[in-house]
Amino acid sequence: NLKLRDGEIVIKVDMRGPGSSPCASCKLLRRRCAKECIFAPYFPPDDPHKFAIVHKVFGASNVSKMLQELPVHQRADAVNSLVFEANARVRDPVYGCVGAISYLQNQVTQLQMQLAVAQTEILCIQMQHEPALQSHHEVFELDQDDKAHLLHSNNNSINNCNNNYNLAYAMSSGQLNSNFASPSSIIQMQMQDPLKQESLWT
Amino acid sequence: MSSSYSNYTNSPCAACKFLRRKCTSDCVFAPYFPPEEPLKFANVHRIFGASNVSKILHEVAPHQREDAVNSLAYEAEARLKDPVYGCVGAISVLQREVLRLQRELEETNVDLMRYASCLGGETSAYGGRRG
Repeated sequence: NLKLRDGEIVIKVDMRGPGSSPCASCKLLRRRCAKECIFAPYFPPDDPHKFAIVHKVFGASNVSKMLQELPVHQRADAVNSLVFEANARVRDPVYGCVGAISYLQNQVTQLQMQLAVAQTEILCIQMQHEPALQSHHEVFELDQDDKAHLLHSNNNSINNCNNNYNLAYAMSSGQLNSNFASPSSIIQMQMQDPLKQESLWT
Repeated sequence: MSSSYSNYTNSPCAACKFLRRKCTSDCVFAPYFPPEEPLKFANVHRIFGASNVSKILHEVAPHQREDAVNSLAYEAEARLKDPVYGCVGAISVLQREVLRLQRELEETNVDLMRYASCLGGETSAYGGRRG
């Protein structure tokens, strides 16, 4: 029963604080959102899809266990990576985000090959123009086999960075790698151009 | 003489062993979680849960189920090794590597063009046209 003067407006402010509105998790699970709810800091009520998709793929209790096992300062990143994986799995039920790994590995391999070819071409040109070596024809007469050998040598040295993340080495079963190697099994990624992203979820 | 039993019909799959239930002939897990790989199902169960895995398997075509299981197993293993980022960490590293290689390839191609144009300039100086 507030009497307003001319020009005055009423702005209703909820002074109860953030704890009063159930988080997206508790809304979906239809339970009371306790003050110490483990989901609340990471699943705000205005983004219901975020929890829905994580719940669909991983299940609320699994997510809760995973979060409980982590220190608080790492939970936000963990949630974001789970959301990313869940989204990828819903888009592609067969490969999930493993499809993205395979796709990126193929890109890395192709780029390494292109780089090796370009570097080999430069080497050839450099050697052809080195005056001191002009009398040694066998050095300049690089045929296809020699170039292929140089290419292979280059590939070996620049492939080392891939070893930790190559699915072929990580998987105990060889079947996964052979399936992912074929173009037909590469998933059409719905995610934004990964090459332009600094961070996966900003 | 004892009869030989088929391993498939008498040995429960890793999933049913883990879940302590009877492994029936139409068990959806049996073809993909053999009893000699108990860790595979244990990992997948821990991260995704048996019912979620079952739902995914029912969603995909039968010829794709093996790949689906293998990718789930890979993700589960990656998540257990890295509870914060899981296999998303590998994606991040690979993306950075792609960017780095693209930059290096661009620079190398620029160098190559420079060398190639020097080659073109020198040949014209020595044996090219005059005037």
